[in-house]
Amino acid sequence: MFFTIVRQIIGSINEESPATPMTVANSQATLAIENLHVSVNETEILRGLDLNIPKGEVHALMGPNGSGKSTLANALMGHPAFEVTAGSVHFKGQDVLALPTDERSRLGMFLAFQYPAEIPGVRVASFLRMALNARRTDEISAMDFRRLLMEKMDLLKMDPKFANRYLNEGFSGGEKKRNEVLQLAVLQPEIAILDETDSGLDIDALRIVSDGVNQLRSTDLGVLVITHYQRLLNYIVPDHVHVIINGRVVDSGDSGLAKRLEAEGYEQYGDTTSEGTD
Amino acid sequence: MTPLTAEETIAAQAKTRSEPAWLADRRIDAWRTFESSPPPKRSDEEWRRTDLSWMNWSDFHPSASQLTNGSAEEHLPVHLSAASIVLVEHGTGTTVTRVAPEAKAAGITAASLSTAASDSNQLVESHLATSLIRPDDGKFQALNSALWTGGVFVHIPRGVQLEAPIVILKTSNDSACYPRTLIIADPESSGHIVEWWLPEDSKSLSFANGSTEIFVNDNADLTYTHVQQWPSITRSLLSQHAQVARDASLVSTNVTLGGLFHKGSIKATLSDPGANVKLNGISYLDGQQFVDHHTSQDHKTTDAVSDLLYVNILDDTSRSVYAGTILVEQDAQRSNAYQQNRNLMLGSGPRADSIPRLEIMADDVRCTHGATTSTVDPAQLYYLNSRGLNRDDARTMIINGTIEPVLDRIPSTVVADAVRTALQEKIQSTSSN
Ligand SMILES: Nc1ncnc2c1ncn2[C@@H]1O[C@H](COP(=O)(O)OP(=O)(O)OP(=O)(O)O)[C@@H](O)[C@H]1O
Ligand SMILES: [Mg+2]
Repeated sequence: MFFTIVRQIIGSINEESPATPMTVANSQATLAIENLHVSVNETEILRGLDLNIPKGEVHALMGPNGSGKSTLANALMGHPAFEVTAGSVHFKGQDVLALPTDERSRLGMFLAFQYPAEIPGVRVASFLRMALNARRTDEISAMDFRRLLMEKMDLLKMDPKFANRYLNEGFSGGEKKRNEVLQLAVLQPEIAILDETDSGLDIDALRIVSDGVNQLRSTDLGVLVITHYQRLLNYIVPDHVHVIINGRVVDSGDSGLAKRLEAEGYEQYGDTTSEGTD
Repeated sequence: MTPLTAEETIAAQAKTRSEPAWLADRRIDAWRTFESSPPPKRSDEEWRRTDLSWMNWSDFHPSASQLTNGSAEEHLPVHLSAASIVLVEHGTGTTVTRVAPEAKAAGITAASLSTAASDSNQLVESHLATSLIRPDDGKFQALNSALWTGGVFVHIPRGVQLEAPIVILKTSNDSACYPRTLIIADPESSGHIVEWWLPEDSKSLSFANGSTEIFVNDNADLTYTHVQQWPSITRSLLSQHAQVARDASLVSTNVTLGGLFHKGSIKATLSDPGANVKLNGISYLDGQQFVDHHTSQDHKTTDAVSDLLYVNILDDTSRSVYAGTILVEQDAQRSNAYQQNRNLMLGSGPRADSIPRLEIMADDVRCTHGATTSTVDPAQLYYLNSRGLNRDDARTMIINGTIEPVLDRIPSTVVADAVRTALQEKIQSTSSN
């Protein structure tokens, strides 16, 4: 290959022997993805993907349509349709791939979906309260929850009426995305993956949602922002940018890389169609 | 002494209860109609999907049962503890166990139907089994008209508005029972009435056959909620017919949880312009339960609205039949009639049949109907799992999501809460086995 693959593996994970306490201490706060191979319906989509997202950092992932971005996001969250055939994912000293989806969530992982599901008959507020309680040892009181929810809705400039709407049912594209970020704000995960949260947002909403994410940015949160647009990265300035082509990370850099991609596209990485590469 | 004939037994029983002659005569007439009318056939559209082979029509005799008094209100659902009036119908007798002072002051009548008839209540004589549910409607209706005991009569006088619900608790210590309810809401009145068929004290109940007649007069606003929670051996039938007059509204909800077999014939007649009817149904079935609901939205007049939503949740190898008729008569212009049936299957064992029937004779009508049958959507499960809810909690949330839009349509919060709690108990009992 004629391009450079920048790898930023923090701590060394030795496949032969279990991680020593020292490397775990170092990699604990990192979502560490190594040599991930994922197939859907017998077709390999991710072909040896490596990526590390330490807590406190924002990473952007960019790549052509069909390159495997949502596949990565869903494989990390444990979507049953995506079969991991090789590789590993570790977070907080845990083998993520061994956990069911709900346990990954309670471990601190969060995915803001590109296409959130609609759940009729389930109100946003009661759903979020149950989800929050599922990750707490003590139940939050109805009053405290209400206060928290209103505070976060205010942060995202959402009409309080949405709390009583049925989850995503009849929401516009932009409202669904905002509702995903609301859940992120309420559930306070340690790793958040935002899959094209910017698409479908109008210019004002994009700024509001970005401000919201920026306010949630902290040393306790690692973020993977999946996007097609440099514009979002003007608001949420990433610490690192990665390029995914055909199921592999083929380039990494700082935020300057996103600007270069905007100008030059993905052609510099050669054939970006997934056909005939097997 | 030669044993009494059926008719003699009915007459003797009526006498024991001090019922007036007109009522004894009606009972005997109803019995004759029962004996002479043909049993339902599988070839009748109404019974095509409903197995009645367990019925032995010659089994039925009027029995010389003793009058029993109703038991205490101990089984009153907790959310209904603020009920204004409670009637307990146990065995053959109905007892009024409480009447709130404001209900008494407002002149509301809530009594045993038998007692109300004996007190020569004109409304009972003119309304009972004369128009909405008559013996010649069918063999089950005739049987009920002949054999009901106790019964409930509720009359809300003109202009009286009562927020706290009137609750009817029905149990039976017999092997058969014939609940009979007559409700009359006078013009400009409003109220919430709940009829709850309870499993407690009904252990040996194998057959129940009920009839409910509801008159909602001009500008009245009534909520009627029926919950069927019979024990698992009971086969039950229920005929319900409401007539809704000018600018009056009715929200009628049927919740079917118990029993082995349940057949509900639910009918609303919109008799005058401005009538507004919501018909709600929730059935939650498991094991080998069978439920058949036949509904009818009968628009006799212009400018009326009927809106039906029936939801069935089916587990194990349970079965449901939903057959809904919208009838818009020739002069009923500008009718709005909606009908929705949703079935949620919790596995591959259950089966749900949905049969809409539209008979639209008017031309200026807005009418929609639809039926959906779905399973718990894996995409929805995944979404909820991804937020930290485990499989069971996510599944329960999706089931509740199917039910909640129906509960939303019940105007009384306490009634909706009582129904929600009964549903949660059933969901819990099915997910734990
Ligand atoms: N359930 C599925 N069945 C079959 N193919 C699938 C499935 N899910 C994803 N794929 C395929 O996997 C490839 C990667 O899809 P993915 O959604 O990960 O792309 P993406 O990078 O997120 O693209 P986009 O930028 O358009 O969102 C595509 O070719 C897609 O058609
Ligand atoms: Mg995608």
